[in-house]
Amino acid sequence: MRKKLPYSLLISSLFAGILFAGCGQKQPAPGEIAGYDEGEQYLSIWVHSIEETEEGQCYKESVEAFNEKYDGTYFADIEFIPRNDSGGGYSDKINASVMSGGLPDVLTVDGPNIAAYAENGIIQPLAKLTEEEKSVYLESIIEQGTYDNQLYALGAMESSVGLYYNRKILEEAGVEVPDAEHPWTWSQFQEVLEKVKAVTDKKNGYALDMTFPVGEATIYYYAPFFWSNGGDFVDNTGLNADGVLNSDKNLQTLDYFKTILEEGYMSPVQITDLFESGRAAFKFDGAWEVNTVYSNYPEIELGVAPYVVSDDWKGERYTPTGSWAFAASSKTRHIEGATKLVQYMSGVESGKRLWEKNKSFPSTYEAFESSPLFEEDENYKALYHQLSQYGHPRSKTPVYPQVSASVQEVLENVVLTGKDAQAELDKSIERINAKLKRYRVKS
Amino acid sequence: MKKKKSDSLLGMAFFGPALVLLTIFLFLPMVLTLVFSFTDFFALNPSLTHFTGLENYFQIFKDEDFRQAFFNTVQFVIIIVPLQGLGALGLAMLINKVSHCKKYFKVAFFVPVVMSLAVVSTLWIQIYSPEGILNAILGVFGVSAQPFINSASQALPSIAIMSVWQGVGYQMIIFLGGIQAINPALYEAAEMDHATPWQKFRDITLPELKPLCVFVFITITIGAFRMLVQPMVMTGGGPSHSTYTVVYDIYETGTVNWEIGLASTMAIVFAFFVMILTVIQTVLTRDKEENHGNKKAKKK
Repeated sequence: MRKKLPYSLLISSLFAGILFAGCGQKQPAPGEIAGYDEGEQYLSIWVHSIEETEEGQCYKESVEAFNEKYDGTYFADIEFIPRNDSGGGYSDKINASVMSGGLPDVLTVDGPNIAAYAENGIIQPLAKLTEEEKSVYLESIIEQGTYDNQLYALGAMESSVGLYYNRKILEEAGVEVPDAEHPWTWSQFQEVLEKVKAVTDKKNGYALDMTFPVGEATIYYYAPFFWSNGGDFVDNTGLNADGVLNSDKNLQTLDYFKTILEEGYMSPVQITDLFESGRAAFKFDGAWEVNTVYSNYPEIELGVAPYVVSDDWKGERYTPTGSWAFAASSKTRHIEGATKLVQYMSGVESGKRLWEKNKSFPSTYEAFESSPLFEEDENYKALYHQLSQYGHPRSKTPVYPQVSASVQEVLENVVLTGKDAQAELDKSIERINAKLKRYRVKS
Repeated sequence: MKKKKSDSLLGMAFFGPALVLLTIFLFLPMVLTLVFSFTDFFALNPSLTHFTGLENYFQIFKDEDFRQAFFNTVQFVIIIVPLQGLGALGLAMLINKVSHCKKYFKVAFFVPVVMSLAVVSTLWIQIYSPEGILNAILGVFGVSAQPFINSASQALPSIAIMSVWQGVGYQMIIFLGGIQAINPALYEAAEMDHATPWQKFRDITLPELKPLCVFVFITITIGAFRMLVQPMVMTGGGPSHSTYTVVYDIYETGTVNWEIGLASTMAIVFAFFVMILTVIQTVLTRDKEENHGNKKAKKK
């Protein structure tokens, strides 16, 4: 029996050969793909969406437009890699390609992952951009794409989180919304909540539709509470959370959240579509909520109030920003071409396309100004104002997933379950430190 | 001799492809997981991998999340295994008794098995929601609204019950097949001896179904240990990690936090634990069966 092993190996390897022929990244020759001609530089690009979606179509059209514009110089070849909610699928493919060396020239990266990708050498700094080229983008986009003083990525779209309100309820409660430069402070907001509570109680609802869902949403929605109070999650190096995450400032912020629950302004359990069904006066949600309400809940008279600030706020930037961005992989040997592609994919035309089809906020001033909606529609105008004037980047740390998960857990455990805030924050520090060890050794 | 050789060559030709596929997609990953479990393999930067010995193993036992995930998973198993096993048996016996619409009941109980877990989970989010159908029904009976999957104490049993509902049809069909295969002469004989229904169940149905029970309970146990989709879709492992399972922890550690080394260690420890438990289960049930067989032989 032992003697016969070579036969089986022979046959087996034959099958393996058939099975795996075709796997692995291979650059096609000119002429193999329609549009790729002799003399053009081939650039592969991966995006994180499904081709058939509006977003996918936007990327596809942008790549086609890029190929037309740079005909004879560059040829970009797009590949769609779907992802699930927690980022699996797409990130699995990137992880596998890091190992096998099959990364494309250009890829999309979610804003908070830029630091980790840069720190681990998956993406490389873009070729030098002139000040003029940079000035096209919103400040928050440049800020998001910069790590260690180098520009790694440019966002194709932006987002923000609005404090949405139901006009009818506020009218009934006799509440006036302040202007963009004078947001409600925590104490003022508490008074407002008390007033609207009288109205929403009658509707069997709550003053505020607020929950702390698992995932990135929680830190994204509620980070301004921490930032506007002078707190943060990690320090400037991104390699230290001790003394920052568990600061007295953050304890104060957690106390404020607890007050909101204790006073009965929010539900201790999640109620689906509380705000959308007209039973809550306020809700914090992403910028996409405007489009959702307009299209699906036309009976709600929606308004956007400036995001509330701590009583100690001194006018600094404090509202959430950030979304997916394009970056050049460390494997590309054509950084000039890759940078051109990144610029184009995140540029004015692509931004306009994403806004028109997908209602994702663009990342350039020109794209914003070209759309009349940002002037005509009060809600979009308010969100754009907030984004451009008060946008604050998410924490830049290679262990962002851990920081994000920790903040969600702390809010849930402290506010909803009533556990000790200091103990919960300290526990998070321990977890984050365990993940940071790898980077501290390196630096 | 020659014929033998060509025979074995032919056999290898049939066996080879399966061997290759199994090697690449099952055995190799298993070996790699074992190897990675002794390293600090980090998916974003594989070139920095070091051999770390047993460090990961110490670390996961110190890790509070992993311990809680482990504890939760065991709780899931403790709730699901008896409920689903006995539930399947009960349903099978009932359906066997029903004279009308037998097919309808069979299909009705089997449909959830065919449905995707993600779909079933989404459906039950609505059923369990604070203003969902279940709370509405409870309201009719004067019971106040329950938080179900929104509460740290109710989420785990809620998900476990949903899983039982989803999976019970499969084991029911297996039991039904078993019951129908029992020789009717045994029951006839029992009836002549004026046996009560309980006696018939205890002395005929159960012993005849014993080999099936072993299979059913082991598959349910392994299935319950692999709990992932339901908490992922319904609660994201929350509230306060109360529905976080070991497989969920392995997934998050490996794909979200990129710590393949640590995730591999968790997988190894967990696989080892489930393996031991399965062996114990098999040994226990096998012994009883043999004793039972011996008794029968003695009586003869």
